[in-house]
Amino acid sequence: MRITDLLKKEGIRIGAAPADKAEAIEQLVALHGSCGNLNDTAAYREGILAREALGTTAIGMEIAIPHAKSAAVKAPALTAMTVPAGVDYGSPDGLPAKLLFMIAATPDGDVHMEVLARMMQLLMDMDLTDKLKNAKTPEEFLELIDAAETEKFPDEVKAAPVPEKKEGYRVLAVTACPTGIAHTYMAAEALQKAGEKLGIPIKVETNGSGGVKNALTAEEIANCDGIIIAADKSVETARFNGKPVWSTKVADGIHKPEELIGKIVNGEAPVFKSDKKAEASSDVGNEKLGRRLYKHLMNGVSHMLPFVVAGGIFIAIAFLIDTASGVNGGSDFGTTTAAASWFMAMGKAAFNFMLPILAGFIAMSIADRPGLLVGIVGGYLASTGATFADPFAAAATPSGFLGALLAGFLAGWLMKLFEKLCDRLPRALEGLKPVLIYPLAGLGVVAVMMCAVNPIMGIINNALSNGLLWLNNHNLGVVLGCILGAMMSIDMGGPLNKAAYVFGTGMLTNAAAMTDPSAQAVAYQIMASVMIGGMVPPIAIALSTIFFKNRWNAEERKNGVVNIVMGLSFITEGAIPYAAAYPLKVIPSCAIGAAVAGGLSWLFNCTLMAPHGGIFVVPTIGKPLLYLLALVIGSVVGMLMLAILKRPNKTEE
Amino acid sequence: MVQKHFTVKNAQGFHMRPATNFATAMAAHPCSVIIRFNGKEVNAKSPMLIMAACIKVGSEIDVVCDGEGENEALAIAANMIESGFGE
Repeated sequence: MRITDLLKKEGIRIGAAPADKAEAIEQLVALHGSCGNLNDTAAYREGILAREALGTTAIGMEIAIPHAKSAAVKAPALTAMTVPAGVDYGSPDGLPAKLLFMIAATPDGDVHMEVLARMMQLLMDMDLTDKLKNAKTPEEFLELIDAAETEKFPDEVKAAPVPEKKEGYRVLAVTACPTGIAHTYMAAEALQKAGEKLGIPIKVETNGSGGVKNALTAEEIANCDGIIIAADKSVETARFNGKPVWSTKVADGIHKPEELIGKIVNGEAPVFKSDKKAEASSDVGNEKLGRRLYKHLMNGVSHMLPFVVAGGIFIAIAFLIDTASGVNGGSDFGTTTAAASWFMAMGKAAFNFMLPILAGFIAMSIADRPGLLVGIVGGYLASTGATFADPFAAAATPSGFLGALLAGFLAGWLMKLFEKLCDRLPRALEGLKPVLIYPLAGLGVVAVMMCAVNPIMGIINNALSNGLLWLNNHNLGVVLGCILGAMMSIDMGGPLNKAAYVFGTGMLTNAAAMTDPSAQAVAYQIMASVMIGGMVPPIAIALSTIFFKNRWNAEERKNGVVNIVMGLSFITEGAIPYAAAYPLKVIPSCAIGAAVAGGLSWLFNCTLMAPHGGIFVVPTIGKPLLYLLALVIGSVVGMLMLAILKRPNKTEE
Repeated sequence: MVQKHFTVKNAQGFHMRPATNFATAMAAHPCSVIIRFNGKEVNAKSPMLIMAACIKVGSEIDVVCDGEGENEALAIAANMIESGFGE
């Protein structure tokens, strides 16, 4: 909103000589009237006088700004007057008013405030006010303001010529994808090109992993015909309130950009309303439940991914260093040398954030910022396994990845519900909600929830351990190998994985004290099946991204390579992003592949004496070549299962 | 130095009358009075500067008083803002 948009030269009177305040007002009102700014001059004059009755609108420095918000005003406008001799306007500093502006504002909106603020910013400049007071013609007056405004708000200079070309960007777009590496930018480029081809000016904002680029400004949003949102994760939409908005998948931005632009240009896009009720109902209308779940999930996964990759590679480096320094296995493998310990500790530091971040950003996607705390704390509690009896989780079982997913979704939904309930609180408490009420209630709810859920996970865990021992005691070794392998891969760090791993390392500890070599061998066989089960999922997924490219999108393929390293290092967590994105496809495939590998490892009588370390502890493995064979077979089975279960991605081909 | 956080609640925000009244009231105290808003600091003794800051309804502001009579000034400021300037 520029002053020069509101003030016309016909509305400026130079060298007026009103006898008193009343006459000055009368002249300024008359200027508004002659510019055609008013529906009802008398009603507007009344508004001005009523305002003056409350206190003078002179602000000192020989300036007065009478103003009124009135239904009698057609559109926001300004008039101005210079009074070289001055007129007594009851100014606080006692000086007569020589420079007068009169604001006519419509009753709705903030135009009045914005005009006032902008005028003040200009009029603070004494040099300008002096020049204005001495202006010889309305044209000169207007030019002075225009020049000052251009200097003070240089950003608008570019925007100013745009209205002359009728409009700036007709169509705006926002693109975003969960990982924010490729699709975001591919869609942006496709939309840009389609816009050029159709001769429709378009600006595309990208919400990629590097943050928001080419951000849309409020002015552009106000002036455009509509906005395309091509995104597979949440983007900030409140700013589009009242504009036509077409929401779709990021893939549509890549493949159907012209169609999307057409939706906006032809007025097919529905008008977006950002108030809570409308948002909820339009969500239900436009997006299927599954798609919304996916969006929340991906918001968590995409934020978790960097922690998994960086932490995983650090841990792998730790194993590598120990191997290079000639350490073969042992319970402290990966932390034997000082350098390895350091990498191990730092990698684990990143890993420790995985579940809190996953749950936190799922909850944030559901419940906005109030969800962050409940999700992060819920995810953390899932990773420690705190219960009512053991809140510090001294001897608890983590509920792991599955617990964190539960925490993220439940906490997010509870928080959203709670926000709705809080709408009924008095407005005076509005400021307290985000800083006190939401966090406090949220923490209480999530703490109770996770302490209630964790013991259930603990019970599941114990039952599993007992079942495993029973199998072992009944010589069902191969079955046990299969089951252990499958357990390692089903929840990737959750209770099943934990139970199998603890069982394996527990047997390892026992083995050291065993005198019977065959019992010892069984213990080592168990550990071998456990580790192989944990190595298969990332490798199976990595192979699938290499040999069945059409099942995956570009980012998934890119991260696939990293998964080979993860898998070889026995870092099952590498598979989590994939398992979280397509749980019903990835988990069964990995579990079957891992079961095959675990069973084969047992069948081949492979033994393992290290609790961790993946490929780096091969020297400690009994029958290492057969072990690797089992790993390859299991991974290939997993890959083939994935190829069967997960159909090709149509839009990604 | 004393300070307090407020959410501006009168529908018009710091438009001319509240800004003038507020600045006049603050000018009566010897201490310095500053409004922190939107990352900026505004001398609250100048109606022009207050208006130039464009503080609308719902804005989060801090009023900071420093010097002689700071407590009285802040109490009066709180009273004015919290009462919505009598609007």
